[in-house]
Amino acid sequence: MAVLKRHNLAGPAILVVLLAVGPLVMPTYWVMLLSEILIMGLMAMSFNLLFGFTGLLSFGQGAFFGLGAYTAALLLQNGFSNLFLILVAGMLVACVASLVVGFFSVRLDEIFFAMITLGFGMMFFSIAHNWIDVTGGSDGLPVFALPSLSLFGVELTFYTPVTMYYLVLVTVVLGSVLLWLVVHSPFGLILKSLRENKQRVAFVGGNVSRLRIAAFAISGTFTGLAGVLFCLFNNMASPEFMHWSFSAKPVIMSIIGGTGVFLGPLFGAGIFFVLEQVIIQYTENWMLFLGIVLIPIVLFFPDGVFGTLRKKLLRKV
Amino acid sequence: MNEDAVLRVENLGHSYGRFKVIEDISLAIGKGETSALIGPNGAGKTTFYNAISGRFPPTRGKVYLNGEEITGLPSHRVVARGMCRSFQITNVFAELTVAENVFTPLIIQQNKHFKLYGNVYRDKLIVDKAMHTLEQVGFADRADQTVSSLAYGDKRLVEMAIVLAREPSVVLLDEPTAGMNPEETENMISLIKKLAKVSGTTFFITEHDMKVVFSLAEKIYVLHQGHLLAQGRPEEIRANEDVQEAYLGRKVHA
Repeated sequence: MAVLKRHNLAGPAILVVLLAVGPLVMPTYWVMLLSEILIMGLMAMSFNLLFGFTGLLSFGQGAFFGLGAYTAALLLQNGFSNLFLILVAGMLVACVASLVVGFFSVRLDEIFFAMITLGFGMMFFSIAHNWIDVTGGSDGLPVFALPSLSLFGVELTFYTPVTMYYLVLVTVVLGSVLLWLVVHSPFGLILKSLRENKQRVAFVGGNVSRLRIAAFAISGTFTGLAGVLFCLFNNMASPEFMHWSFSAKPVIMSIIGGTGVFLGPLFGAGIFFVLEQVIIQYTENWMLFLGIVLIPIVLFFPDGVFGTLRKKLLRKV
Repeated sequence: MNEDAVLRVENLGHSYGRFKVIEDISLAIGKGETSALIGPNGAGKTTFYNAISGRFPPTRGKVYLNGEEITGLPSHRVVARGMCRSFQITNVFAELTVAENVFTPLIIQQNKHFKLYGNVYRDKLIVDKAMHTLEQVGFADRADQTVSSLAYGDKRLVEMAIVLAREPSVVLLDEPTAGMNPEETENMISLIKKLAKVSGTTFFITEHDMKVVFSLAEKIYVLHQGHLLAQGRPEEIRANEDVQEAYLGRKVHA
């Protein structure tokens, strides 16, 4: 049949290999930077399931990221050290919270949806910031003992930047594979249909609210996973994760990288952090220069940097 | 009243605030019958469509589809019961391919819209049915084109394919030939005729173009200022003085 689509997985496979051998040749500082890029990339890809694929601009993703982080920190502080337990618990808490927030938000569209998610995000921020007994207030919750993992009788710990990097890499790759499956599933096609025309979906039998809540919950769950990882990487859960300015990060990363391509937001996260590193060597006002870089990207790369380059390359092949 | 009617509407009314847009409309459409709802601008045609298709619940009256009451059901439930509609303004998934446009209703019909894994293109049940639908509207060879790149008339045909994919028993078409050139209009007329004949689908259309109405409809309903002014076979409607007055603003003395 003419319409059969084949997925080209060579590129992502090469990327995973490069990421796996990277730490062998990179200085420690860059290994840590790459860890952060991967974690924020996972957050941005989860966000983009809503933004690029469903057409919903959520400005409250920081809440679910923070919930994942706080869940991990509280479990670790209370003596739980099973890695799977912590990852799953962080995702579960984020999932439940995003189901609730989604339930109240998905009836709205565009700017109204963005504002209500921003409002929910700021509610979570206030709780994290002011409920000092549980969350440690503005100081956040420090994490001293990291979880360990027993695999085939070998006890793995993650106290060095390189071992932490591999924990992050494996988790982010697994998370991305699951997200990729969702994007390319029947549900994923319905999400794109919703983005294009939610009324038409409703008038071919789709329950728009339920479909959107499901998308919101999946996005929130993987954002929570990124939050757990960041807590482990950062040895800290902090209320700033829930601040609206933190929720803006996946938005910017997705727009830089490209919202129409699955890996676009991951590349956007890479560009974001590398730019920060380069600019910060010259000036402290890196946000000013981020703005200066963002403007031409929006103007000249309508599909994002990665999206536009990919389009050009595919056209040549 | 015809109890075997596939679509039956009883005393339907809808108001915006205190303004009654449509009032006391009753009609019964037989299975496989192609009928048309006509009336001057502002007569309430689109409001009537919206009220029976689940866009909003009607203020008064009842709607039955295949004998079951569907009054006030949301659109996705109405579709599940077997009635699907098109819109005055083309309503498609612009940045998806023609095939994906037709996959969407089929995924929902086969209850796979919450399936989080698997490739739709490898789902034989969906692909075969989608190709069958696209063949009906003459689009099988353009299945992988993006809809936004198509000509206007072709987009309308894609919307027809979306509407027909689930094989609804009743199809509501809101001005199916609006904005089309004469050739596209001719194609649409023969397509609707063919589908009505081959699949026994009941078409209920609104239309401004009287040529389209008289070449398609076996029965015509005339809506005027929110009321059903007349109903009957095309030749009866042509001869009806009330209808002439409504359209021309005065009685025509032959």
